[in-house]
Amino acid sequence: MSKLMVNVPLNRVEGDLEIRAEIVDGRVSEAWACGTLYRGFERILVGRAALDGLVITPRICGICTTAHLTAAARALDAIAGTAPPASAVAIRNVALMAEHIQSDLRHTFLMFAADLVNPAYAGEPLFEEAMRRYEPFRGETAIETIRETKKLVELLTIVGGQWPHSSFIVPGGLVSVSSPGDLLQCRLLLRRFRQWYQSRILGCAIERWAEVRSTADLDRWLEESEAHRNGDLGFCLRFMRATGLDQIGRGTGSFLSFGSLDLPGGTAVRAPAGGGQFVPAGFLAPGGGVSEFHEEKVTEHVACSWFQDDEEARHPMRGETRPYATGQESAKYSWAKAPRYEGSPAETGPLAEALIAGNPLFSDLVRGQGPNVLVRQLARLARPAELMPAMETWLSEAAQDPTFYKTPGEITEGEGVGLIHATRGALGHWVRIEQGTISHYQIVTPTAWNASPRDGGGAPGPIEQALAGTPVRDAANPVELGHVVRSFDPCLVCTVHALQRGRSAGRVIVGAL
Amino acid sequence: MSRTLYWLQCGSCGGDSMALLSMESPDFTELLRILNIEVLWHPSLSNGSPDHHRRLLKELLSGDRPLDILCVEGAVVRGPGGTGMYNTFDANPKKDLVSGLAKRAKYVIAVGTCASFGGIGADGEIEATGLQFLKRARGGFLGAGFTSAEGHPVMNLPGCPCHYDVVGGVLTALSLGTSLPLDEYNAPLEWYGLLVHQGCVRNEYHEYRVEERDFGEKGCLFFYRGCHGPVAYGPCNKLLWNRRSSKTRIGVPCHGCTEPDFPQPYPFFRTRAIADVPLELPNGVDRAHYLAYKAMAAAAAPERLTKRKTRV
Repeated sequence: MSKLMVNVPLNRVEGDLEIRAEIVDGRVSEAWACGTLYRGFERILVGRAALDGLVITPRICGICTTAHLTAAARALDAIAGTAPPASAVAIRNVALMAEHIQSDLRHTFLMFAADLVNPAYAGEPLFEEAMRRYEPFRGETAIETIRETKKLVELLTIVGGQWPHSSFIVPGGLVSVSSPGDLLQCRLLLRRFRQWYQSRILGCAIERWAEVRSTADLDRWLEESEAHRNGDLGFCLRFMRATGLDQIGRGTGSFLSFGSLDLPGGTAVRAPAGGGQFVPAGFLAPGGGVSEFHEEKVTEHVACSWFQDDEEARHPMRGETRPYATGQESAKYSWAKAPRYEGSPAETGPLAEALIAGNPLFSDLVRGQGPNVLVRQLARLARPAELMPAMETWLSEAAQDPTFYKTPGEITEGEGVGLIHATRGALGHWVRIEQGTISHYQIVTPTAWNASPRDGGGAPGPIEQALAGTPVRDAANPVELGHVVRSFDPCLVCTVHALQRGRSAGRVIVGAL
Repeated sequence: MSRTLYWLQCGSCGGDSMALLSMESPDFTELLRILNIEVLWHPSLSNGSPDHHRRLLKELLSGDRPLDILCVEGAVVRGPGGTGMYNTFDANPKKDLVSGLAKRAKYVIAVGTCASFGGIGADGEIEATGLQFLKRARGGFLGAGFTSAEGHPVMNLPGCPCHYDVVGGVLTALSLGTSLPLDEYNAPLEWYGLLVHQGCVRNEYHEYRVEERDFGEKGCLFFYRGCHGPVAYGPCNKLLWNRRSSKTRIGVPCHGCTEPDFPQPYPFFRTRAIADVPLELPNGVDRAHYLAYKAMAAAAAPERLTKRKTRV
């Protein structure tokens, strides 16, 4: 039996993530996901003025900035008891969706697909074509992705002034008052982007893609035309199947969404799964059905995280952030806490969103092969097709009524929770205000769910579970680990309380600096 | 001959890198090609294996491989207690990588406010600092006397995030051998010699003291909403974001994110005032004259501004 330990500092994730893996006979037997950066945001917030979270929290993350702003504003909405006007809800949604789409495509083609051109695949028949598309800084799709996604960022600057790190969403609505002309410009940018997405990525109209409702439909769609096969979605699908990415990265099989995108009053948009939110909240247990989401069932463990030990897992409204850097000498190994739902780890992100909404294609794909790298990435790449038609409607509806703000008055006392489904999944801000000042601020991010370390009971997080069993052909170039981890699109900068390599006495650390 | 660039992220949100992707005419990839800059490593964009990266670092740190430009994004994390263990790479404090690479690079550039001055974490337990400044004090992580391999201090490009055209401009100047005069905080005067206020479309409101008291009212944000536009130096309203807009243009007060002491310890969205007049006046303005001027200006405000119908 050959046994070795590898430490893999992963880039092309947002922030600092290292994977420690034990490899036995060429397969991962156990893995540890280690966030290696602590930035202490929650503690910076305590003692500041009630509205200051709107300026500080977007700066947690340069890629999920609007998501944090939205969650912060929703927590304050809840405390103030205000409901923002319909046009403000519509523009909040559009901004969040534009952030999702640019991120979904940048992640897929700049971060995930860069692994498809790893030298490990040099012998694959599709390799040369993959290089032509995805080589960093040079590939045709990589360059086009940079060029085209910035049109969505441009849309965000029209409504929000700048991206990242604006504070245009406030309790009661928005500070900005987009004129009909501004909103028309947004619609033009969105249409231009949609045309590019349809021709370059899908190789067909969104309406045609929407008819793909099962694995059999997907195979038929792929066979149907050159355009489908050679669009980047079709090409990635073929490459991932050829290289077995549908065979690795299973994970926990449990999925979570906090719900997102409230339907504005009077809108023509219908939620795909019914209900008052375009993205429904819910929890999907392994092999079970979707159960209703209850916020009180969220807890965080710190047993394996670099925080002072606690006798119990805590609900975020009672959670604390007390860093405790023990180095490599204890069970602790990550700056991420370990969030759990009803005590279970849960995967979150675009695939969770699709499954909880009952999307027929992704439900069928997961029924057939279980969750895996391919299906997770496909859900991300196909999400823009779900979002763009609703964005168009909301931009048009917001131009009808220029009321974007209803004052909530001074916010002085109360507790509130801001829950959304961010680009990478379930995000929550738990906030308490006393005498106009923040007295409690806890943030549970999507990556804390996905890249969670072990909890008090020793259960590994979703990425750790997904890595177990993964074959690694070359420990010096463990591209397979990269696929599995990046299929979760981790954003470690968001893991505001986030690891470092743990103890590995007597084992081989491959390639340490 | 191509110039080499290594991009290091420390205590960072990644926002400066994300902003870079908005660069236009030329875009970021074109810029690199035109200037013949070889990116040896960028944490979000490079695809070398971890072993490749470790070898590269070894060569750069030993000086076997020349490094022309080191860009650092994010603050140097020194906590807890100066150990740097709140931010590690391969189990070693990342701050050691900063000092090792800074010694070798011909130019060291701090991209963003955190790398320049410490930023968000400067008052926190992570003991964040900028490369050569901690807030307004010279020194920072590398020390006041630090110079790069070619004798230059760290060039600071503050902003949260730093505007991509500033990064593009600096890379162009370095590549083409154009010198950039610096201000007292080692930031290029070209972009940090003008106020955020200059170019704001709400300037006429400021002129006649038509002020917002609550969000969404369409006025100047300086008197009540905590805007730093007339006191903070930065190019937002000259360069604009994505050539479209800026925070102040759409009604978000400037939070002074380019300033060495960002984020301020007192509340955002509220102007500190004495007798209804801001404590901090536009830079260099005398209080007595300002009071007289503002009283007259308010009285002279035309109705088209006080009863405005536009959505600016």
